Parts: sequence; structure tokens; C-alpha cells
Amino acid sequence: MAATEFDAVVVGAGPAGSIAALTLAQKGVKTLLLERGERPGAKNMFGGTLAWCPAPEELIPGFWEKAPWEREVVKRTLTVVAETSATSMVFRSDDVGRPFRGRVTLFRPAFDGWLAAQAQAAGATVVCGCTVEGLVVRDGRVCGVRVGGPNGVVEAPLVVAGDGALSFLAKEAGLHAGVRAEQMAVGVRGLYALDAEEIDGRFGLVRGQGATNEYLGGTDGVRGGGFVYTQTESLSVGLVLHLDSLKASGLAPYDLLERFVGSVHVAPLLRGAQLVEYSAHLLPEAGLSMVPRLSMGGMLVAGDAGGLCYTNGLTQEGMNLALTSGHLAGLVGAEALEVRDMSAARLAAYDERLRESFVFRDLKTYDRAIKLLRRDRLFSDYPEVVGAIMEQLYASDGAPKRRVGAIARNALRDRISIRETLADLIRIGRSYL
Amino acid sequence: MNLDDIFDLVSYRIHPEAHIVVDYSTCPSCPHRACTFACPARCYEWNDARDRVDFAYESCLECGTCLLVCDPGALTWNYPAGGYGVRFRAT
Repeated sequence: MAATEFDAVVVGAGPAGSIAALTLAQKGVKTLLLERGERPGAKNMFGGTLAWCPAPEELIPGFWEKAPWEREVVKRTLTVVAETSATSMVFRSDDVGRPFRGRVTLFRPAFDGWLAAQAQAAGATVVCGCTVEGLVVRDGRVCGVRVGGPNGVVEAPLVVAGDGALSFLAKEAGLHAGVRAEQMAVGVRGLYALDAEEIDGRFGLVRGQGATNEYLGGTDGVRGGGFVYTQTESLSVGLVLHLDSLKASGLAPYDLLERFVGSVHVAPLLRGAQLVEYSAHLLPEAGLSMVPRLSMGGMLVAGDAGGLCYTNGLTQEGMNLALTSGHLAGLVGAEALEVRDMSAARLAAYDERLRESFVFRDLKTYDRAIKLLRRDRLFSDYPEVVGAIMEQLYASDGAPKRRVGAIARNALRDRISIRETLADLIRIGRSYL
Repeated sequence: MNLDDIFDLVSYRIHPEAHIVVDYSTCPSCPHRACTFACPARCYEWNDARDRVDFAYESCLECGTCLLVCDPGALTWNYPAGGYGVRFRAT
């Protein structure tokens, strides 16, 4: 490795890192992309979706036709799970737009491998099986990385850290003090193999169409939720659990997953499906409050490593933020290399570009919603209230029917005071309206 | 889903040395022992006789949960050396 000189080292061949490497390589920057897995994607578990964003199409014309995604999402179901009932909202639109402007499900090992190959084809050097152990810092400026093995150090004027949710490089650089349990969620997932046609039938889809099911509640009071995502010939089924809440509960994620998978909401979808893999991963969940400064002299931070991932309770975004931040890191990095100015002041243009982009704007728009989702009641009391209202609404027991408002007051009475309910309604209103 | 089977479905290339090192001296005074239930891979198990956890790094999924729930700060946490550790399915 010592024989070749690189202008940029990108750490992590996930979506943020590979897009950054692709952007840099296309600009003629001598780029090294380091991945600790034996291949890109080997360390990525993911059952989720990628929402359309402009960055990949700009770099790879025809990206949405070429990339190995699984299904186009046409149907999204949000279910509030109570002890003895569940209430769902189903959104379906078969018009995903042409040209495509929708959302796709992905199988990350396949997608990550393909994306890293694009960076390689553009001229980046991709080295797998290489764990970055730390930074090389001189005079307060990052100027390379330390890797395992005999060669030890790779120097380069630019380092892009796409090293994932724990973000050890950003921490070592002093951009943050280490992520904390209350900022993160753990995702656990089972991957189930199932025939494409069976998936189509069970979810009401035709060939190539996909569905996402998301569940609020049903996690035994732990803040979090469940998901079922349709891939081409498999289903990703799992839970995302706030770490501080999980820790306080004394419950094990695999026990909660087992219960979720066996529940009446999920079990019928999995009949005859074969569980082929189990995995776990952390997700940043604290929104803007946990996003540190993402640039310093010689280094830019992109994707999960920068805390750029969130859910607002209605949708989950992460990969589009990773691709967009990785793209911007590549652009700003290439511009800085062009004028040979890797100073903190120069690279701060990256934070500026992110602030102008949808990445920071969306995080800001839903900042209150992201904070709202840290309220325990949303995952315990309110699902029960919704269930009680719906049960009463449909009940027929010979007694005269009551208005919905009276039913709701009755359902709330034993659980949450009027005052707390009003305060929560105001919070919910301010979060979404 | 048979709980005991799920952990057998994961593929690893195990390094001879542990990538996470536990300072067991904090275990006896730990107020929550959160690693013993929060770790998605069941790597930590409480050992009454030794009054500390037993830790098996071999089945680690490299998620980082233990690092964040262990507030006594008993863990020296690194990713495994390149190419080692968990390897998720390619297909």
C-alpha cells in the first residue's frame, strides 16, 4: 500500500462511503476505499427502504434502472398494536412516478457490493478486509488512517469517515464525545426466505411491487416498533428498540422479536417461510441534537457516522441521507483537493451544503417529532387507547351506541389524565402540523 | 421461530483474539447487568459463582449495544481485525 499515493481515503464501503469514493474518483481524485468486511455489505444487516434522492442518478445515469434493488414500494401499512387488537392505516398508490420518484426495498449485501463496484469502475481502489483502527493527526489536522497489518498507516490529505453508527473516527477526532444509549436504537432482524409469488399473494402485490408494514407498540412497553419489508424472494422482519428504554426494561431483544414474529399480526405473513439469518445493528435516532460538526481539517463525516438517520414515526429515512451526505462529502473534498486547501475553514463548506440540502432540512422539520418519539406513553398507553376506542366503536352488545368523543374519554380515563392528554395532543400537533 | 436456532444461522470467521475486552472488576457492583439481556447475540451471561459476567466474543454481531449500555465503562471495544467476525449472507 505504501507504494501508491492516495489523495483521499474513504473509510467504510456502505452507501455513504461508496458514493463518496465514486464522487471523488469521477473527479479524478486518487481514492482508496477501505472496508473491514471481507466484501462490501458483509457487515450490513438491513431490512429497509431507499427513498429516491437525486445524488445517485447524478453520478450513475440510469441508476434506478441499473441498481440491484428488490421491489418498488406501492403499499405502506402503519399498525398500532394493542394488547388484544391492532389498528392499521394502509396507504396504497400504484403510481410511483415515471421517471421513478418512489421508494424501493433493498438487500444491502447485494446493493453495497454493486455500489462499491461502481466506485471501483470509476477508478477508486477498493480494499476489503481492512479495519481502520484510528486516525493519523498532525497539528490538529487529519492526514491519514491507521490500519491493521504490517503497513500500518495510509496517509492522504482527505479522509472521509463513513464508518457507521458508532463513528469511532469522528469520536477520536473530537467531533463528538461518543454516542450514548439514549441517542441510539438497536435493530434486530430475521431474514425469511419465501417465494416471490407467495409474497405477492400475501401482500396483495403484482410482480416487482413491494410493501412495507410498520408497527407501533407490541414491544412490551419498550419504545420502538416492528417492521416487515418485502424483498424479491425474502422478508425482513424485525424490531427497532430505543437502547435506553430496552436497558430500563430488562427485556432481551430476541425475546421481543420472537413474540413479534409469533404475533397474529406477523405470523400469518411468515407461514411456510424459512428463517435464514438473524442479525443486529445500531441506528442513530436522536435527530439533529446528536449531529456533530461533520467537518474538520482533513476530514469529513458522512452517513450514520454523522447521526444522519431518523424516524419521525411515519417514515424511516437513512440511506437517502447517507447517499446524499456521501455525495456532498465527495464534492466538497474534491473541490478542496483541487485548490490544495484541506483546512477546517475550507471543509466547513460541507456542513454548509448539508444545511442547504434536504438532509438537514428534513431533520429540522421533524425535530419535534423525533423528540416526541422518546415519550414512553406513545408506545404503551396510547396504543391501548386506540385499541379500546376501535373496539367500542365496533361493539354491538345491546347497549345504545355512544359518540366517539365519549368513547375516547372513557378509554383514556384510567390511563392518562385529561391534562396529560391535552399536553400530548399539543405536542403531537406541534410535531406534525 | 425457534429462539435457540436463530443464533446458529449466523456465519462467522472467528479471530483467535477477542475484539472486545471486559474489565470484570466492575461487574460485582453493576446495578443493572444490562449486557446480559440487551446484547442481541447473547454474548454475556451472568456467572453467580464468579460474581461477574462470562463473555463469549465468538458470536458477537458487532452492533455496539454492549458498549452503550455498559455505563460502568468496563469494555474496551474494537471491531474485529479486517475480514474477521460476523459475515452476513451475500444472497
